[in-house]
Amino acid sequence: MAARRVPLVLLACGSFNPITNQHMRLFELARDHMHSTGQYQVVGGIVSPVSDSYGKQGLVLAKHRVAMAELALQSSNWVTVDEWESQQPDWTETVVTMRYHYRRILKEYERSVGMHNNSNLSPQLKLLCGADFLDTFKIPGLWRDDHVEELVGHFGLVCVSRGELQPERAVHESDLLSYRRHNIFHVREWVKNETSATEVRRALRRGLSVKYLLPDSVIEYIHRHNLYTEDSEMRNKSAVLRPLVKQAQEPVKSLDD
Amino acid sequence: MEGHSITKVVLLACGSFNPITNMHMRMFELARDHLEDTGQYKVVRGIISPVGDAYKKKGLIEACHRLEMTRLATESSDWVMVDSWESLQPEWVETAKVVRHHYEELLASEQNIDDVDTIKYAKKRRIEENHHKDRDDLQLMLLCGADVLESFGIPNMWKQEDIAEIVGRHGLVCITRSNSDPHKFIHQSDLLWKYRKNIHIVREWVTNDISATHVRRSLRRGQSVRYLLPDSVIHYIKEHGLYSSESEQKNADVVLAPLQRYTEYNTEHHH
Repeated sequence: MAARRVPLVLLACGSFNPITNQHMRLFELARDHMHSTGQYQVVGGIVSPVSDSYGKQGLVLAKHRVAMAELALQSSNWVTVDEWESQQPDWTETVVTMRYHYRRILKEYERSVGMHNNSNLSPQLKLLCGADFLDTFKIPGLWRDDHVEELVGHFGLVCVSRGELQPERAVHESDLLSYRRHNIFHVREWVKNETSATEVRRALRRGLSVKYLLPDSVIEYIHRHNLYTEDSEMRNKSAVLRPLVKQAQEPVKSLDD
Repeated sequence: MEGHSITKVVLLACGSFNPITNMHMRMFELARDHLEDTGQYKVVRGIISPVGDAYKKKGLIEACHRLEMTRLATESSDWVMVDSWESLQPEWVETAKVVRHHYEELLASEQNIDDVDTIKYAKKRRIEENHHKDRDDLQLMLLCGADVLESFGIPNMWKQEDIAEIVGRHGLVCITRSNSDPHKFIHQSDLLWKYRKNIHIVREWVTNDISATHVRRSLRRGQSVRYLLPDSVIHYIKEHGLYSSESEQKNADVVLAPLQRYTEYNTEHHH
């Protein structure tokens, strides 16, 4: 008899500035991988664009980034975009976004499955990210230790890398991550694909083609609204990333958010 | 005002396209951007010419499928199209012949446009009508990856006169990755070096390594290839059950057509 699979939802946080085929590949790769462990059934994917108050250089308005993600995901039957995070008044810690979505997923699940059905496994939410994400834990002031612990220990990471061993090294070099390594899933992307949103914006600024790097509908949207110019790239140039400011100010709080 | 005239360019890509991927389509976009950036060229058309089944490459599925998948992939493009001439030939056709065929067709169609356009040059045209002379203002260039350029060095893969025709009379647009060095390869070949002005190297700064081999492997393993090729192509593959372990074994024991042909040719001519 087949073992019961844990229903799993994958959440990707990020700028999505703009969303690219590469982002959508992450979901596909992660789903295949988690299925192949035999323990999970991926039931959904969420793209959560960061809010404008993140303050990253070149970030265009959230309403555009959400609209583009919507266009890109129109043809997907399991990944959707969610604008909750982008609509919060201030930048939201990843863990807070995860808690919000987890509560939502759990509620939906309980409603559809029934309150008294104990034999079914409870759904899980894991953060989907690229290999470079693990390195951000090292940046001083960017992450609170208790958040990293909750993210990796309680929720879990699905980390997609491009054939190098770097993500395993990042885990190895951090005691915290190492302790939780059983909850960090490494997915290898063998297709070397360096198409990043940064490169896409660069090509757009220079009037070069980005066709086949992102869906046509997103490219049309970008041209229609004239996003991604030299000016848009200069936005937030001298600003400090919001998380660095916010977390420097806060005394260590409890987990009552 | 500019004194120089702009050369119209048609890009021709030959290959297995087994299956076509977003990377193949990207090559055209990169090549066009590169050529037009020089200010000397205007790329007016792109042609994808899938190889015939007689090429006998391992894992090569039927041309009819490869043609249709390519057609689906080019649907969203307003300048790149698929051409079936090569794939319909009974024997494998050397790339130089394919280039020649498309160049002749190009000249013929341009000729017709000229005939309609200008009446006062009618006399001159009548003389040229039967000769399809090479024109300075119109070029057909072969579009390829660095692997094709480097295949010029594989024994029995190409006839020297064919290489000379392609790079000498026409042109080559070669898309390369950061880890290969086409300039060195050109430097080390007298033939290529002679025609270096006709060889355009396009650096792909952002590696996009979606190989058809990888795609076929993923399909065999039931893994997702979404966003590596157009959805319509993926749908076609699923619908027709293409790319299995069986299809990958096709031609496993057979010698690739060019190697077969040139080995025989060389054997005959060395006796």
